[in-house]
Amino acid sequence: MKAPPFIYHRPETLDDALALLAEHGDEAKVLAGGQSLIPLMALRMGRPAHVVDLGAIDGLAEITEADGAVSLGPLVRHEQANRSDVIAQHAPLVAQTMPHVAHRAIRTQGTVLGSIAHGDPAAEMPAVVIATGATLTATSSSGERTIAAAEFFEGYLDTALRSDEILTDVTFPAWPSTAVSSVVEVARRHGDYALVGVVTTLDITDDIVTDAALAYFGAASTAIRVSAAEQSLIGSSPSREAFDAAATIVAAELAPPADIHGSTAYRKHLAGVLTTRGLTAAVDSIGVPA
Amino acid sequence: MSANTSGLVGQSVKRVEDDRLLVGNGRYVADVNPPGVLHAVFLRSPLAHATITSIDATAARRAPGVVAIFTGSDMEAITHPFPPFAMQPDLYTPLYYCLSSTTVRMVGDPVALVLAESRHLAEDALELIEVDYEPLDTVASIAEGLSPTKPQLWEKANGNVLYDHVHTFAPGNESVDAVFAGADRVITERLSCPRQSNQPMETRGSVVEVDPDTGHMTIHNATQSSHMLRWIGAALTGKQSTREAAKGIIANKERRKAFLAGAKSFLKENAEGLKAQDNDGMKSQLKADKSFLKHANLIGVGLLGKDDYPDVVAQDIGGGFGAKGSIAREDVALIAAAGELGRSVKWIEDRVENLMDGGQAREEDLTLSIAVDDDGTFRGLKVDLVIDQGAYPGFPVGAPLASAIMKVMFPGSYNWDAFEMRSRIVATNKGKYVAYRGPWANETWARERMVDIVARALKMSPAEIRLKNLIGDDQMPTAMITGPKIDETMSTKKTLERALELLDIDQFERDRDTALAENHYLGLGIASYHEAAPGPPGYWECVNPGTETLLNEEAQATVETDGSVVVYTSQMPHGQSHETTYGQIVADELGVAIEDVKLVFGDTRRTPFSILGTGGSRGGPIGGGAMKYASRAVREQLVDAASKLLEADVADIEIVNGNVHVAGVPARGVTFAELIAQTAGDGFEATRSYRGKGDGGWSVATHACIVDVDLDTGKVTFPRYLVVEDCGPIINPAIVDGQVRGGVAQGIGAVLYERATYDDDANLQSATYMDYLIPTSMEIPEIEVHHMETLSPGGENDFRGVGEGGMIGAPAAITNAIEDALSPFGARITSQYLPPTKILELAGVISPD
Repeated sequence: MKAPPFIYHRPETLDDALALLAEHGDEAKVLAGGQSLIPLMALRMGRPAHVVDLGAIDGLAEITEADGAVSLGPLVRHEQANRSDVIAQHAPLVAQTMPHVAHRAIRTQGTVLGSIAHGDPAAEMPAVVIATGATLTATSSSGERTIAAAEFFEGYLDTALRSDEILTDVTFPAWPSTAVSSVVEVARRHGDYALVGVVTTLDITDDIVTDAALAYFGAASTAIRVSAAEQSLIGSSPSREAFDAAATIVAAELAPPADIHGSTAYRKHLAGVLTTRGLTAAVDSIGVPA
Repeated sequence: MSANTSGLVGQSVKRVEDDRLLVGNGRYVADVNPPGVLHAVFLRSPLAHATITSIDATAARRAPGVVAIFTGSDMEAITHPFPPFAMQPDLYTPLYYCLSSTTVRMVGDPVALVLAESRHLAEDALELIEVDYEPLDTVASIAEGLSPTKPQLWEKANGNVLYDHVHTFAPGNESVDAVFAGADRVITERLSCPRQSNQPMETRGSVVEVDPDTGHMTIHNATQSSHMLRWIGAALTGKQSTREAAKGIIANKERRKAFLAGAKSFLKENAEGLKAQDNDGMKSQLKADKSFLKHANLIGVGLLGKDDYPDVVAQDIGGGFGAKGSIAREDVALIAAAGELGRSVKWIEDRVENLMDGGQAREEDLTLSIAVDDDGTFRGLKVDLVIDQGAYPGFPVGAPLASAIMKVMFPGSYNWDAFEMRSRIVATNKGKYVAYRGPWANETWARERMVDIVARALKMSPAEIRLKNLIGDDQMPTAMITGPKIDETMSTKKTLERALELLDIDQFERDRDTALAENHYLGLGIASYHEAAPGPPGYWECVNPGTETLLNEEAQATVETDGSVVVYTSQMPHGQSHETTYGQIVADELGVAIEDVKLVFGDTRRTPFSILGTGGSRGGPIGGGAMKYASRAVREQLVDAASKLLEADVADIEIVNGNVHVAGVPARGVTFAELIAQTAGDGFEATRSYRGKGDGGWSVATHACIVDVDLDTGKVTFPRYLVVEDCGPIINPAIVDGQVRGGVAQGIGAVLYERATYDDDANLQSATYMDYLIPTSMEIPEIEVHHMETLSPGGENDFRGVGEGGMIGAPAAITNAIEDALSPFGARITSQYLPPTKILELAGVISPD
């Protein structure tokens, strides 16, 4: 279980890293935390000829806040995010998510942006990105572009990033004071990729839901929102009946693929169960009776 | 020598091996790096069943760093096929080589061996070997193994059913059928256990070190049985044919003398193993496959001079659970390659290989019929067992021995008038079936599952029907219907009674009602059994005639000139804490501190011979007995010498803290070192052989657990898990607790998490830890262990094995509890594997896809 031969690059500036990607394109892979790339290479399922390690570049592990919006650089580890006061204060949903990501040892090494760029449909962070409508910045040697969350995840382990681009920033929009959220998931074992999970946000004013996001992971070939269920919640009071109605819509809409860990019927059912649980957990955090 | 020096047996002495292991000072196979060692990797079949039409290693041989490549046909020229072992009448044992040359029979079947300067280069070269396969139809399940229309894995066998035998036990006046006809009712159910895999932390591995001057080989290997590996390794890689060797011997006087000496020592060392080659089994094999005689290379080993044997050195091992008791095909290929190249070679199995070919177990279909009277009295038991052996038989212990033990143990601790069991073994295109912690354990799972099914049909409680039918002390001594003798140490009924006292049933019923509000369903399950650990004398004759002789263990105790005690065992610790438990036994016998006892194991140059090594729950009872009597003999020598030196009567000498002195007068004493210095003679040393005494040898337990089933998610947790175990007098309670808990954890894994999954074409679906799920500490509840210590009336050395039981009892208790939890839905649990999807299907929450 050893990786096939590859050329290892350890540039010291972002420009140098981008130049390497511009030169090697499809042949190159960016290494940040390595928690997905390295196992894939060891299994010889991933065979990049060039590995561009971002580890020696200064300034990529910044967490910043501006007007309530929180930005993370490409070397912010999950555990760093987990312990960040800025994130705890301004991006509570990201803080809620971190303990669900794999195991502590993996969180210590793996990066938030790496998880987003990998685009695993069963991972938490892509669902957080689409639930919050985060903005993603892709940088190449020819410049920067921003990509909306809804445009980023294109298919199974496939994103809008080009092979000469590095995901250099994710910015979560300012968190409304009226918003509540939750992350719930069911995995075979603690720390495994979820069988199904859901990231829930609700904006509630005067006991009326004014906005809702239900973003599922482990339920399709990408993280996926179920807008019909979201719409069913908007304009009504949060209640057990409303939550169950949303759950029914979700279970009908989603058709998660089966694997050896769970059937399609099981995952559909679970998506419904977790919808109710996620909505209940979200409103529980502000004490609104469900 | 100041520590406590007596009464260590029975105490939770801290593990002495942890000082070494927990700070990273263990020495595992991967740590062995002889100068110039070559790194080995195996090319494995991606297909479950195919004909190899061509194999071309030309490009790979030219790859950087590659020193040699061996294909299947290369290996056929320099090795012998694996021989049948411990044969049974009607059993077909296929002959197969270490690498496959013409047919691959499973995903992962090794077809070539690459040796290169580094593991990376070896893996790179592996990709350059071109193999053309012509796919064959696959045999992917037990049903397909039984089907006559499926292709045959072994040309000379009769179909894919390699064994089919009916054993009948009806000691009374009535036949089995008459007992069934006379009972009030007969209840039948078909149960199945999906495939699991032994998963040690350390994978398999071997370093064959070749002395560049002499060519002598030392095999460093993660093996539970170093002497077996030495013997089989020599046998299967012996270069000369029997005929050539014989001609050479007859022609040369010196060689003749050497041969006679070698043969004599071979016969002495292997007398028991040779005796074990059961004659009936040999005849049936000969009838089935005459080419067997051509390969009777075990006989050829006798023609090797003693110096032609390799040495085997096993040191620290990160677990095995039975799998490392097997001699691997890879082991043989590596020995042969090292011999050909005259260079040291190293192979450390990776986890993908381990999940494919490191050993799988337990895939069995079991149809049980119980004849029972309406008052709940068991009358008769019929079992129809089919074992899925996979593509290759585990060597030496696999499906045949598991079925033979099941045939004896299936009736369990209950009274029966009659018992009948049909055993079949089928070949399929899946990984090889090996011994896994309690290899016969499905007799307990299936029987205890069935007892609950019968209780439900008769509207009795699971406890009530068990108490009615369990053999009690008032019947002792007696015998199981299948032959083995039982005495009070078969205390199953008492462990059940104790477990029922410990369970608060009223509280459980209240919790059960409360949980419903959250859509959680609670259930209570129990399972009771006894296991041979290692069984009373005569037990193994009931299992497989001839094998009783293999049980023997020898131990040697020596006092070194510095006064320390070195003891030698052929047991091979791989997680069981032998250094601590044997240290306790020896320290108590000799009156020294445990720190002054050093255990030597795993090294065939230094340890006594035992064909089995560690396996079969023999470490405490038999290995521990040998240890006790060897050190007792040394004590007598020390006391004898001291009595002369101190001019005191032998009866007046005692040993305290390593001081041999006149009783009550420590000042009139000598240390072991002084005794050695001051007395002439051969030093203090003794070897003792032991095979068990008395009628005991049973370990017993009742498992009881409460499960909490979340009917929203299908997840199962354990509000309570308790084990009442009786392994007789306990050497070290903390170690016993650890063994029981580890076994229960694997049982929880078996039911809720672990499955070696194959698709309909026998492709492995669980080749990484993303898909083969081992429970972690987060999934394992606190496990209460309660001890009972029933002594055997006739047993002097009365320790009994306890390593396997946790895993034997757990799947039955857990599945019984889950069926109880799902009883409002009329669920009937017939499979041992119950992942969340299955739980919700059983409860009718979802339908199967």
